[in-house]
Amino acid sequence: MNHEKKIPLIRLAKRDGMEGWKVWCIRCGSILFALVLGALVMGLAGANPVTAYGAMISGALGKKSAIRQTVKIAVPLLGCALAIAPCFKMRFWNIGAEGQITAGAIAASYFALFWVNRLPSPVLLLVMGLAGALAGGLWALIPAFFKAKWNTNETLFTLMMNYIVIGVVRWLQGGPWEGRKGSQIIPQFDSAACLPRVLGVHCGWIIVLGLVVFMHIYMNHTKHGYEIAVIGDSVNTARYAGMNVGRVMMRTMFLSGAISGIVGFIVASGANNTLYDGVAGGVGFTSITVAWLSQLNAFAMVGISGLLAVLSKGAETLQTRMAVPTSISDIITGILLFCMLGCEFFINYKLIFRGAGRKEARHG
Amino acid sequence: MKKFLALLLSMLMVLSLAACGGDEGDSQPADDPKPADTQQPADSGSEPAGDKTIKVGLICIGDENDQGYTYNFIRGKEAATEALAAKGITVDWVVKWNIGEDSGCEDANIELADDGCDLIINNSFGFEPFMLKVAPDYPEIEFIACTNQASWGDNLENTHNAFANIYEGRYLAGIVAGMKLQQMIDEGTISADQAVIGYVGAFSFAEVISGFTSYFLGARSVCPSVTMKVQFVGSWSDATEEANAASALADMGCVMISQHSDNTTPATTAQSKGVFHTGYNNDMISVAPEASLIGTRINWAPYFEYAIESVVNGESFDQDWCHGMDMDAVVMTDLNEAIAAPGTAEKLAEVEAKLRSGELQVFDTSTFTIEGKALESAFALDTDGDFTPDSEEAVFDGAFHESYFQSAPYFALSIDGIEWLNSAF
Repeated sequence: MNHEKKIPLIRLAKRDGMEGWKVWCIRCGSILFALVLGALVMGLAGANPVTAYGAMISGALGKKSAIRQTVKIAVPLLGCALAIAPCFKMRFWNIGAEGQITAGAIAASYFALFWVNRLPSPVLLLVMGLAGALAGGLWALIPAFFKAKWNTNETLFTLMMNYIVIGVVRWLQGGPWEGRKGSQIIPQFDSAACLPRVLGVHCGWIIVLGLVVFMHIYMNHTKHGYEIAVIGDSVNTARYAGMNVGRVMMRTMFLSGAISGIVGFIVASGANNTLYDGVAGGVGFTSITVAWLSQLNAFAMVGISGLLAVLSKGAETLQTRMAVPTSISDIITGILLFCMLGCEFFINYKLIFRGAGRKEARHG
Repeated sequence: MKKFLALLLSMLMVLSLAACGGDEGDSQPADDPKPADTQQPADSGSEPAGDKTIKVGLICIGDENDQGYTYNFIRGKEAATEALAAKGITVDWVVKWNIGEDSGCEDANIELADDGCDLIINNSFGFEPFMLKVAPDYPEIEFIACTNQASWGDNLENTHNAFANIYEGRYLAGIVAGMKLQQMIDEGTISADQAVIGYVGAFSFAEVISGFTSYFLGARSVCPSVTMKVQFVGSWSDATEEANAASALADMGCVMISQHSDNTTPATTAQSKGVFHTGYNNDMISVAPEASLIGTRINWAPYFEYAIESVVNGESFDQDWCHGMDMDAVVMTDLNEAIAAPGTAEKLAEVEAKLRSGELQVFDTSTFTIEGKALESAFALDTDGDFTPDSEEAVFDGAFHESYFQSAPYFALSIDGIEWLNSAF
């Protein structure tokens, strides 16, 4: 830091690719640095950082029931990160996953509430999943259509679509689907409409792991994936190569929304067993972090979403065991994410200081 | 390459230094001897060491900064802890703040159960379905869902519900409001038909309806010409909407505002509009000294004390608990003597005594009508899950018996004299 005072001018230069082990050193270093900063914050809150970190890890992974809850938190994060990955690869900024999850959850809930006596459980769950995918996909298709046709700003469009669909859920909660009058609560689903548990967690985790493999193949080994990559690099190149950019955009957004919709189905049917306006619960936004940190690599997303789930569950335990407010844990999570994202900058760019005549990489 | 290694090493050194520094700074705060599992050896050194210790979990929808709903639970928790300490029972509380009414609530229950709590209290209505997913897995732990109603029919031994007869407190607050209105009529400030109360309600939910109806009946018992308008805001806690509703009601000519919502904004709005106010959950005189006459709140301490003591002693306790002024489960906040009508305190004491003795029934069917007719029959409980009451006749002995068959309120009728401005919520 104090370099900056003496030498005012810093230049940035793109790095040509660092050796792998150095990259990982920087990454680990940034995590370490974040942990130390986090320790300072915990210290300020009056907790011993070593015990606190211990409590977070044992709280998230120390017991079978803890692991189950951690997995339950990771499932929607992973699913949604997979959903937005192809959009981001295409440089289509879909920040409407929140709404697409909710749309999927609404469609799934409709069948859960009103078709439960008409279909056997496995068929019902399948129908719910398909309905969720379709609803999420269609919800995502709207901004994609406008973008393809009239080049509207997809960031604002997808964001605003979120509020609409969340409003729809509020209306359903207080109106036609309300349980006890005035309670604003939609009744719990019949057990036939709830995802069965495998190893103690609703089987949504199997679905998303399946999606990981699907997304990896789709992105790396199909013509669709190739088209997405080309459009992401340069729309003009894609056009020159004869690709119908608008069509690819709509197709990719539909797929993205459909996967988000499936996540909505998983959350409503597996975790909450009901529908409410917070069904997406910020997952649509947090998963953007997951996707970026994983550099859109489907397998890396498993690890990153797991890490975030551990932090989030650990934060709860921290509050339970050491009376540390969850907001402190949120700060620590924020610091960690900031450092992890920030270190990518220092991996890709180097700072050149005037006069020093030497290159120096700093990170943190 | 060398440079990079040197940099890496120096970074490591800085980090380790910072880490040590961090540790040192942190060993000052009091709670080092807290290896995760030990119960609480050094928690409260000054208290006489209790013979018995119990770990109790409390799951809250908000935090105590709300100065309303959750704050009221925390007051109850603290009072109960003190009362139990005097009996030699040490309560080790674990509180979870800002939990949502979703599967996060299920996780919070599991976490508290795994953390060794003997009793887990859920403070919000919407927590119950999630609590019920956890309770069967921990039969040795007692679970309480405050303000909800499933326990009497869920076939589980370890689930409980609790509420208080808050309608008694509402009725008394209504008396304070009615006396003020009558005083204004007598003094000629307003005419008899201008005695209109504006009520800011959260939702058209039985708990709210029961509350404003008892409030209205209290007011009408001392001011016969009073009428009431109810505006629902569609949220349990939305400071701005509550203020807007109060402001709209005052503009419609309401000279007295009351509320069933969490914030103090109806009180401050009433003051700025030059009308009067009675509060809920908390004493609102400090924020609106010229408007707020009195407030009422549930006092959770007697119930917490009862439930915790029962668990400590290994006794079973009521699955559906509801008491009112008889056990101080409902209390009035201080009366604002400076602006209340003369004689209010005496009248309050008199009516309170009648309520306690059972001489006076709040929902006396001779005091209200529905579409011009006296209420002769109304069911209390819903047993088939369609959310419409279908069993247990609540009207007998000349009164609707609120909170008699279950703790959660079930009076959800619209009586004459109260106008619902919107029932969309």
